[in-house]
Amino acid sequence: MRVRVAPYVEFAKKAFAREATYRMEVLTEIGSLVLRVYILRSLWTALYAQNAAPINLPLHGMITYATVAMLMSLILEVDGTRLIREKVREGTIATDLMKPISVPLYFFSDGIGQTLLHAVLVVPSLFCALLLVRIDVPSPATIAAFALSFVIGYGVNFFLNFLMNSIAFWTLETFAAQLIVRWASDLLSGQIIPLTLFPGIFGRIVFGLPFAAIYSTPLLIYVGVIPSSQWALSIALQAVWLVAFAAIASVVWRAASNRVIVQGG
Amino acid sequence: MLRAYLQYWRINFLTLLEYRANFVMWFFFTIIYHGVALAALYVTMRQFPSMNGWSFREVFFLYALWMCGHELHNTLFFTVVSVPDYVREGRFDRFLVRPLDALFQVLTVPQQIVPDGLVLAVATLVVATTATHVRVDWIFLIFVPLVVLGGALIDLGISLTVATISFWFVRVDTLRWVVMSLEQDFTRYPISIYTRGVRIVLTFVFPFAFMNYFPASYFLQKSDTGLHLSPAIGLLTPVIGAAWLAASYAFWLVGLRHYQGTGS
Repeated sequence: MRVRVAPYVEFAKKAFAREATYRMEVLTEIGSLVLRVYILRSLWTALYAQNAAPINLPLHGMITYATVAMLMSLILEVDGTRLIREKVREGTIATDLMKPISVPLYFFSDGIGQTLLHAVLVVPSLFCALLLVRIDVPSPATIAAFALSFVIGYGVNFFLNFLMNSIAFWTLETFAAQLIVRWASDLLSGQIIPLTLFPGIFGRIVFGLPFAAIYSTPLLIYVGVIPSSQWALSIALQAVWLVAFAAIASVVWRAASNRVIVQGG
Repeated sequence: MLRAYLQYWRINFLTLLEYRANFVMWFFFTIIYHGVALAALYVTMRQFPSMNGWSFREVFFLYALWMCGHELHNTLFFTVVSVPDYVREGRFDRFLVRPLDALFQVLTVPQQIVPDGLVLAVATLVVATTATHVRVDWIFLIFVPLVVLGGALIDLGISLTVATISFWFVRVDTLRWVVMSLEQDFTRYPISIYTRGVRIVLTFVFPFAFMNYFPASYFLQKSDTGLHLSPAIGLLTPVIGAAWLAASYAFWLVGLRHYQGTGS
């Protein structure tokens, strides 16, 4: 199937404009992010002052980790595929499926549009955060590896959301499952605390789960816990998760769209 | 009015008994939610055993105490949190034309209340009390329920303030969410980790420190290294809660006089 790009660019533009109308919300979001950075700075400063620091992550590294994680969450917490759930509930998904577009791509481009708005927010948020904390700036090569890893993590996060929202085709009670996965992923993805803090066997388990591909890998590359010799391996592992999730998502999507046709008869 | 209120709770309770499966589902849900927060805390404090002199078990007690107050608020007063929605949809006007106090009507909006959080909070507090070897004497037995009630009133004051703001600014969804999650973040750790200005704000402006930090310091027999106050002021939580609620109720009354509706 040949894919024309133009309509999807339009979808993304529309999503961007739609999100930009809530200016007050956007300001509140930045304000809350700054307060959260403050809380984390206070917390880690207190913890490092009274305890032995972990060998590979000194205080400035930890504060960098927490701040960058916070900025990443501005982008990663956008859930473009939330629309699936709403459209299934209202039944409008049926007309979408009739349109000459790829519906998953439509959700993806809508998500990209929302993401871009939030990506713009990263800049003022970063400046506000820099009033409170100093973050490490690694070498250009590290930043490039971080960026690549972040993009792959974004993809994994997209497909995870996509799968969670696709549950709506089978049961409308998706809310609970979705929140539970979201909370579990907050902890297991390395968003709240670095996965290196997990002890022993738990440490090995959390690094083996797909959630680690979302926040942990890019962040550990950024702060230098993953050395350049292991970049290729870590990013390859992320890519494996991306491909696996994409494959599952495509199977689920095919089953789901057939289901709509059957129900609509 | 009291009789109507008791009747309201009788009906809620009967509904609850009808939907037991629902209760179990929400219970499980709440466990995961708090479990994630506590697991993150546990993993962190395994590596860093002292948080300004507080051990994991003591921070756990701090969390449990906050949880009780917060969940009591969620069980008794949760409809106040929905006021901005009523305002936006125009349903709030209904309360104003009826011959009963508007706030009382808000507190008795028919709904399905699932006190799963409260049950879990009490269980958590029991576990935390055992784990920290807090001495359970008559002061503890009298004051813990009072502190929890005071904590719920502090929370109610916050929800009422956000609700009142929605009389002027209709869209307060983000504000509401931000206030709730910041409260949770700020109350999770002993306030001594923050800078002096923030400690003062958390004690005297938005008195979250009274929900858990001061009472927990008292029960755990720790000295307050944050503001060098006597931890016994933690026993004042019910008074602080009532005062804070009175202030926000006054603001609510001003808001009501100003209220014009959205026309929807």
